Amino acid sequence: MAQLEEVDETVLHRVVDRGRSLGASYVEARYHDNYGYSVSTRNMRVLGVEYVRERGVSVRVIVNGSLGFAATSDLTKEGLFKALEVAVTRARAASRLRKTPIEFSEERLGVAKYSVIEKKPLQDYLTPVSALNLLLETYKQAASTVKEAKLAVMTGRVRVAIESKIIVNSDGGLVKSVVPRPYVSIGSTLLHQRGTIQRYAEFGASGGGEKVDEWRVPEEVSSELARLEKVLVKGVKPPSEKLDVVLGQEVVGLIVHESAGHPMEADRILGREAAQAGESYVKPSMIGEFRVGNKYATVVEDPTIPGSYGFYLYDDECVRARPRYLYREGLLYEPLHNRHTARIFKAQSNGAARSMNYASEPIIRMSNTYLAPGDMSFEELIEDIELGIYVKSYMEWNIDDARWNQRYVGLEAYLIKNGELAEPVTNPVLEFTTGWFYSNIVGVDKNLEFYPGTCGKGEPSQGVPVWFGGPNVRLAKMKVGVLE
Amino acid sequence: MSAHELAQKLVKELSRTYDEVAVLLIETDRTMVKLWNSEPSVVQSWLDWEVMLRLAKNKRMWILRFRTRNIDQILESTGRLIELADKVEESELYSPLPEAQVCKPLSDVYDPAIDKFSEDPSRLVEVLIDEALGAGAERVAGMISLGKLTKTLATSRGYECRESKTFVEAYARAFRGDFSGHWAHGSTRVNIEEVRKVGRIAGKYATITSSKTSITPGKYKVVISPLVVGNLMNYVGSMASALSVLTGFSFFAKYKLGDKVAHEKFSLYDKPRDATLPGATGFDDEGIETVDKPIIENGLFKSLLHNSGTAGRMGTKSTGNAGWIYPLSWNLEVSGGELSEEELISELREGLFITNNWYTRLQNYYEGAFSTVSRDVALYVKNGKVVGDVGRVRIAATFPQILSNIQGSTCERYDIWWWEVRTPTRAPYLLLEGINITKPEV
Repeated sequence: MAQLEEVDETVLHRVVDRGRSLGASYVEARYHDNYGYSVSTRNMRVLGVEYVRERGVSVRVIVNGSLGFAATSDLTKEGLFKALEVAVTRARAASRLRKTPIEFSEERLGVAKYSVIEKKPLQDYLTPVSALNLLLETYKQAASTVKEAKLAVMTGRVRVAIESKIIVNSDGGLVKSVVPRPYVSIGSTLLHQRGTIQRYAEFGASGGGEKVDEWRVPEEVSSELARLEKVLVKGVKPPSEKLDVVLGQEVVGLIVHESAGHPMEADRILGREAAQAGESYVKPSMIGEFRVGNKYATVVEDPTIPGSYGFYLYDDECVRARPRYLYREGLLYEPLHNRHTARIFKAQSNGAARSMNYASEPIIRMSNTYLAPGDMSFEELIEDIELGIYVKSYMEWNIDDARWNQRYVGLEAYLIKNGELAEPVTNPVLEFTTGWFYSNIVGVDKNLEFYPGTCGKGEPSQGVPVWFGGPNVRLAKMKVGVLE
Repeated sequence: MSAHELAQKLVKELSRTYDEVAVLLIETDRTMVKLWNSEPSVVQSWLDWEVMLRLAKNKRMWILRFRTRNIDQILESTGRLIELADKVEESELYSPLPEAQVCKPLSDVYDPAIDKFSEDPSRLVEVLIDEALGAGAERVAGMISLGKLTKTLATSRGYECRESKTFVEAYARAFRGDFSGHWAHGSTRVNIEEVRKVGRIAGKYATITSSKTSITPGKYKVVISPLVVGNLMNYVGSMASALSVLTGFSFFAKYKLGDKVAHEKFSLYDKPRDATLPGATGFDDEGIETVDKPIIENGLFKSLLHNSGTAGRMGTKSTGNAGWIYPLSWNLEVSGGELSEEELISELREGLFITNNWYTRLQNYYEGAFSTVSRDVALYVKNGKVVGDVGRVRIAATFPQILSNIQGSTCERYDIWWWEVRTPTRAPYLLLEGINITKPEV
């Protein structure tokens, strides 16, 4: 294991045993260590170097059918027992307000240990100095690439994060894991007499320095800014008539994250997040019955993709992770479950419980979500389009709290004329419903790509690393809006 | 080891190696009850301790964040940094720590009643649920959080100060059929009547109509509730941070101080000295005494929010808003007007009343171009009367448009703090004109 363990599993077992003796029917103790550092820049200057070491233990209990959670960074035996007692006492006090007891599904829990292999050890490869050099090189290349517009400002951030966990629970689960993740973000503002354009590009994965090599950050960022410069300098307004619309992989990935992943979270379906991240258009009775889209509407959620930003092999309830079909050829197929929602749905957990850090409750989260690709090339996808639009990337997006009504504003976009990409288009606006999108896919290509993101949910809000992705997707004709 | 002892020891030990040291310790004792279908889904508690360090050597600056009381581990982690002092370039935001000022913590931000409710928040939970159900709602979700926070700041300039405060955050989302209403409150003091009001107003909006109606996208007069005002002003407050301007992620980058950026009826203040709002504090992370200040006053751009680093970079003085890297607002306050809520709706005549929103995202921070989605009821009003709920619609505009198109506001303001308004904000209802409203047309 790459990180040192500060809390031995025997200490966690003691917490679990003591919790049972205090009357809890379920006890879970999780040691969770987030270690990392980051370097941030503005143009050619350093803004700051940050180091983070967040480690502590959280205790989750069920007492009289009431769920309690407490977290502490005091890792002495007294500190851990105090957190346990607070969790038990406050759960018991709230139990009189519960009408139905909280129970977990019966599961075969993991006893396992795993870590992500770093071909190039991350902390050796991506030191603060090499991280700074990467950002400075990115700025230099980008500044020399942009010709007609001005690169007014570029902000950069490189982060190394090592997440280590030991999870013990009273149902026999014991899982130890170490997942290293490199991450780079670049924010750019281009200025021209025609206006401004901004891009926030992200790169993220699990693994070592080899991932950073694969990203080719300076080249990719420079290449994209050169294309965005053309959008800014030469972009035209989208035509007002209905158009064939082709969405790029980044946009498709975001759409399936927002309109397949989130609405298929079982806690959201049941209303547990109603006052925060919202509910879902999906109701329990619709699972396996309701068809939201056509044969192309197959969305997969898979935490086990090697090298992915949302990678894990066991969830934070020690349930083994596996791929799941959220939508399968248009059918609402399988929600994301933890042990609590699985019990209510009379199903088995499919290992979706994740927490951001020791101070966070494990809740149902996505990991890596994507639309299944097809077998045609991009050229074949657009070859018979007389007049259409290709939206490759986005900046602004949002979706309503039931995950039905959504909007994406394109950033890099082009007209399609007679089967070929033509002049750039400025700020095309796409607004549609989940049902319309999944029912109006008329083609997908074979080029599956993934993009990193930090997904927010929970109270207090937890941001967890995810990938989202898909192939290029062609939609039926629709009216494309204009940003006013 | 007490916070005072740990801070002093860290300053002493680290000053042997570094030119400047600042130590910020945050101790938290917090309880949160999350509600689901009119009952608790989970009771969460945090007994926490965070240690943050700002170290500087030869104008190189490091920020470190630990969740530990283990001083040996902290010192060991800082040991290797010094090797980087000649390899990492000077920070653009480096400025010497300020001379030590007199320690002046706010004294009236601690409510002892918090202890009683933290141990068993059931009474508050029951009040919140009962009020919403009593207003006609069928079910309620929401959250109540209470706690204590103590911060201790010590610097190698000889400054040390300690401040303890309490906080309560409560919000409810009430449902009846396809309709829902939401309300929120935040304070340094626990007041059961305010919690009651949260449930009551959420219930009121959930039951304000039983009719659905529809609108076509276009320009509308719009009333936005204090929840919506709070959400949008959190973005404006964030873009008033000088670092947002320096990095191009702010529409204020296009303006100079004194420029007209809003309607003359509009003012926005940063209010760290308001002891009732939960972001209140007497000193910032560099030990500078906080001060209330206008960001926008009577429509004019009055001030950015600075720490010493951004102030040095922009040739001005700190405004007491550090954040060691990122200056931030403490509490926000929007000016009120003269109308009641009913009068403002009547003034609307024909238009939309958006009671809540979420998911505000920007296409371009430099231009301030954004959209945000309504949640809970969004009401179509005609002849001053509610016609029905239009479902989910978007405000798609720029922040300069929103600020310039303010036509009126209520005299009564509400202290809003919830999931979508993370900087506590005192806000009225606002009447806006000519606001672009969109929704899917497929």
